[in-house]
Amino acid sequence: MNPEPKNPEPVNLEPRTPSAERRTPSVWGSAARIFDLSLGQMLWSRRSVFLGLLLGGPVVMALTLRIVSTMVTAGFRINGVQAEGASIFGMIVWLLYIRFIVPVLGVFYGTALIADEVEDKTITYLFTRPIPRRSVLLGKYLAYLACTVLLVLPSVMLVFFLIVPTGGSNIAEAFPSLLTDFAMLMVGLAAYGAVFALVGTRLKRPLVVGLVYAFGWEPAVLMFPGYLKRLTVAYYLQALVTHEMPQDSAVSMVLQLFHEVPTVLTSLVCLAGIIAVTLWSAGRAVEQREYVLEQ
Amino acid sequence: MSIIAAEHLSKWYGQVIGLNDVSVAVPPGITGLLGPNGAGKSTFMKLITGQLKPSKGSIAVLGAPIWGHPALFHRIGFCPEQDSFYERMTGREWVTALARLNGVTDREATAMAARAIEMVELTDAANKKIGAYSKGMRQRIKMAQALAHDPELLILDEPLSGMDPIARRRTIRMIKDWGRAGKSVLVSSHILHEIESMTANILLINQGRILAEGNVHQIRELIDEHPHTVHIKADHIRTLAREFLADDDVLSLRLEEGAVVVQTARPDAFYARLTELAASGEHGAIHEVTSPDDNLQAVFQYLVKS
Repeated sequence: MNPEPKNPEPVNLEPRTPSAERRTPSVWGSAARIFDLSLGQMLWSRRSVFLGLLLGGPVVMALTLRIVSTMVTAGFRINGVQAEGASIFGMIVWLLYIRFIVPVLGVFYGTALIADEVEDKTITYLFTRPIPRRSVLLGKYLAYLACTVLLVLPSVMLVFFLIVPTGGSNIAEAFPSLLTDFAMLMVGLAAYGAVFALVGTRLKRPLVVGLVYAFGWEPAVLMFPGYLKRLTVAYYLQALVTHEMPQDSAVSMVLQLFHEVPTVLTSLVCLAGIIAVTLWSAGRAVEQREYVLEQ
Repeated sequence: MSIIAAEHLSKWYGQVIGLNDVSVAVPPGITGLLGPNGAGKSTFMKLITGQLKPSKGSIAVLGAPIWGHPALFHRIGFCPEQDSFYERMTGREWVTALARLNGVTDREATAMAARAIEMVELTDAANKKIGAYSKGMRQRIKMAQALAHDPELLILDEPLSGMDPIARRRTIRMIKDWGRAGKSVLVSSHILHEIESMTANILLINQGRILAEGNVHQIRELIDEHPHTVHIKADHIRTLAREFLADDDVLSLRLEEGAVVVQTARPDAFYARLTELAASGEHGAIHEVTSPDDNLQAVFQYLVKS
């Protein structure tokens, strides 16, 4: 055995086509192509259908409030205080979207950015291309952002137009705050998505860890004074909330607990830092990790 | 110079050894990687495509380490074993999207995909969703994505798996054409005659080790020296058994329910005789001929013993 190879001619190791055609795309260029490939898959996934239904919840709630408001001429009162439509919308954005829906979207999509491809055994096609592995993560993260923004914004807009006119608020006056809310939601989606992308690439059982973080750790540490709350995304997001809440209400009492609120600039810088550090770390994990597919 | 060079390459998954101290040099041209299921073929394939990092030793593909060097994939095309796709995409969309990852423009990617799809003779079905493809079509579109960027090394993991005989013949012809066109191809299979039909140069792998490398005919001779068992289901097994007993090459014979089991030293001659008997109908119909020794595992056990 082990005879000499039949064809001992040296291999031409040079590319056969001109180098211009063989250029390796940059990380961002590769990420853009992964984004193109992934967005459609993500938008039409079962996950998006399920989360789309979840996002219908606030719309149904807003529609119900709107119908009720046509019957109750005195408007809505929270703990005896008259609540304007804009304030109710602000509460919905903070309590429903920022504190619940955005983390849920972040957990379910963020932890699955690479895991879905591994589970579907399609990761091989992406990892055997002349692109850095971290660009796969980055492209899929950008697709997540686009997908979740496309899911969230229509829901928020519908809620805005249904709720704000109740209680005497003016849509035109409240509209600039809607744009601010959009921006805040996008920052929230970006931050939670990056954090959970890291969880998804580094930890086992990322979904459980993500849910515990979003709905166990964050609410718990925000309730208490101290530095631990700085290890949450919600702490920085709350500084971006522009809505004035009804005073002496249950909600305002809850908000009083968040008495230590950073400035907008500090929050934005910290959130940018969280996004950059977690994405970098997630990308590094993807570069170094071996993905063994079940046969 | 070799296209793939492994030096004391080992890979283990926790306590399980996938590949054990393999040193091998794969020459240019078509090479078959032959081994039974679980032999370590897939681990070897994953190591040479940079999906896994060696636990020990080194692996170089086209002269450079593959792990952490994705730029090498400009020159490598890989067709994995798994039957996994973006099912909602059409074949053309999928191959084009993957071709774009080679850093070419959209127009170039479209042209590359069209050429590759034509090469695998799937142009008519290119605009159908992959989810609607037959198994053979899925295998071919998988090959199209591997060769779209005109790589100089093609790595094909069980490419004939699940194909019908016609698609199989077409694919074998295609692989041989690539070899003739100057490409190097490493193709894995667990079926000896599949590999034999593509190339004479093979690597035999079993239990995580390369058992032998070289010309398939030498290995075939070695296998042919091994007593070969044939299981024949027929109408008249007793008269058939009498016929076989007259043959000098039959080493032993036993009767089972509805079948005669023969051990022969010259399987080629025996099969020729059996075909004659079946064609003559002299001893009634011969329903089924199987050979447990065609199971590669048995051959490997024999090779290891020898």
